Amino acid sequence: MAQEAIVMENLCKDFKVLNRREGLKGSIQDLFSRDYKTVSAVKDVSVTINKGEIVGYLGPNGAGKSTTIKMMTGVLEPTSGKILVNGLVPYKDRTRNCENIGVVFGQRSQLWWALPLVESFKLLRDLYMVPQKEYDEMIELYRSLVDIEPILHKTVRQMSLGQRTLSDILAAFLHNPGIVFLDEPTIGLDVSMKSKIRDLILGLNKEKNTTVILTTHDMGDVDALCKRIVIIDKGSKIYDNDIEHLKTYFGSYRTLRVRLDNNDTWEETLIDEKTTDVMTVITEYQKSHKVKDIQLQEISTEEVIKKLYEGGSV
Amino acid sequence: MSKKRGLKFYLSIYRKILIQDLKSKMSYRADFVISTIGMIMTNLAGFITFIVLFHNFPTINGWDLNHMLFLYGFSLLALTPVQCFFDNNWNLRTHVYSGDFIKYCFRPVNIFFYFMSEVFDVKGLGQLAFGLGTLIYAWAKIGIPVTFLTVGQALVFTFTASLFMIAIMNVAAATCFWIQGSGYVMVIMFRFKDFARYPASIFNSVFKAIFTFIIPIAFVAYYPSLVFLQPDNVPVLTWLSPLIGLVFFFLSYAFWMLGVRKYDFTGS
Repeated sequence: MAQEAIVMENLCKDFKVLNRREGLKGSIQDLFSRDYKTVSAVKDVSVTINKGEIVGYLGPNGAGKSTTIKMMTGVLEPTSGKILVNGLVPYKDRTRNCENIGVVFGQRSQLWWALPLVESFKLLRDLYMVPQKEYDEMIELYRSLVDIEPILHKTVRQMSLGQRTLSDILAAFLHNPGIVFLDEPTIGLDVSMKSKIRDLILGLNKEKNTTVILTTHDMGDVDALCKRIVIIDKGSKIYDNDIEHLKTYFGSYRTLRVRLDNNDTWEETLIDEKTTDVMTVITEYQKSHKVKDIQLQEISTEEVIKKLYEGGSV
Repeated sequence: MSKKRGLKFYLSIYRKILIQDLKSKMSYRADFVISTIGMIMTNLAGFITFIVLFHNFPTINGWDLNHMLFLYGFSLLALTPVQCFFDNNWNLRTHVYSGDFIKYCFRPVNIFFYFMSEVFDVKGLGQLAFGLGTLIYAWAKIGIPVTFLTVGQALVFTFTASLFMIAIMNVAAATCFWIQGSGYVMVIMFRFKDFARYPASIFNSVFKAIFTFIIPIAFVAYYPSLVFLQPDNVPVLTWLSPLIGLVFFFLSYAFWMLGVRKYDFTGS
């Protein structure tokens, strides 16, 4: 088998949207002559993702993340371009593709609402035709990674949001798929649940070498899980590299914070280390004031991403 | 590498989902009791209306009470499968508009099957009992012989007759992939089932043609019943009805799946 889990080449997706005219007269006109415009949701995206990678797939709202994921899962057909998931064309081979992927959509559970979790697991085992031995091993692995006893016999209806998300993630990994898509898995969760879920995803990725595609707006998720991130905006890919590289994307920025004399407030200076030396700035301060305290801060992923979304171009 | 999923697989999965579903339904006892009572009352009300009507008009277009009861029972039987197994069609538009429908697309099984498997409506069972009782009563009163042939015919014709109503509801539900007001389409279509209780011969030729070829409601009870009620004068359409039923069902399934494929699934 090839080393690539996902290959996308020049992938495009257009939607036809009805151009609505204004007012009552416009609505009546719309009934008789329809005027469509084409909206490109995904434009010329090429990404290759290897087996076992955890990739953060980021972008502002409406950037085309979900559309890409829907194409990877075989729900939508690309308008043009090539896409291969585990060596299959997802749209043409939806059923076979589904055997080897798992999907979690943050807010909506895919489990049977009225059934205890363990019964949902058993139905999924049969649905994916997982041999009993592999199923038992997986449940054992789950037990070693997270405390599943309290939720195993609860129905999804009775669960808290955190427990439900946990259940959905466990269900997505149950048939040991090659790739798992996680769409905003930690949305709305408390801090402790977030970290529990991050640990679980890391643990499963390590044990089963599962490729994970993660979309999120929570930079905590990205920092905790992803080595590599892909960012798209307005349908086009604008970044695809290591997370470490991202921090130096706009130059090697660091923030120097100094407290001078007996002042209680911090003064902040953003320093591009490529052009200026931190020591020079400190010396500069010391010429005129007495420096009481110094802090040096790395630029956070969140700040870089924010800058990127706000239109920092390549 | 790929696993084969044949009819046996689907039957076994359906059985497992059904057992779990019934188990959980019975755990909500009040819900279960109320819906059972509701089902009995609905059927009883329909039945009483029917009897009262016949008290005043002893025959309709040459059909007497027993013939009409036969038709009534037959239609109840033929409407049981759509009620029991395809009831989730009623929820389709909610799932589609909310975006929840996408979850049915991530499993390695047929989407139509997976969607329908989620709901089994117990109320249909009461309808089955009512229909069976009425049919057997009318069968005995009319004096239709009980032979392997007649019983076999009854089985085949009720099964294929049920396909028509399923097809109608599939198409009505699938309109939600294209239009917003599909709820009305479903309600109107579902109302048409009441016409199935009456002999299509009472309608004028335009309506008869509509109920035969466009909204094939006449196939739900009228045409198949003629095999038993007018054995000497069975129209060709009756003998063809099993085949037509399969065709209608297949077309409605294809339309439903086309809706899934064409739908944009916009929003996240």
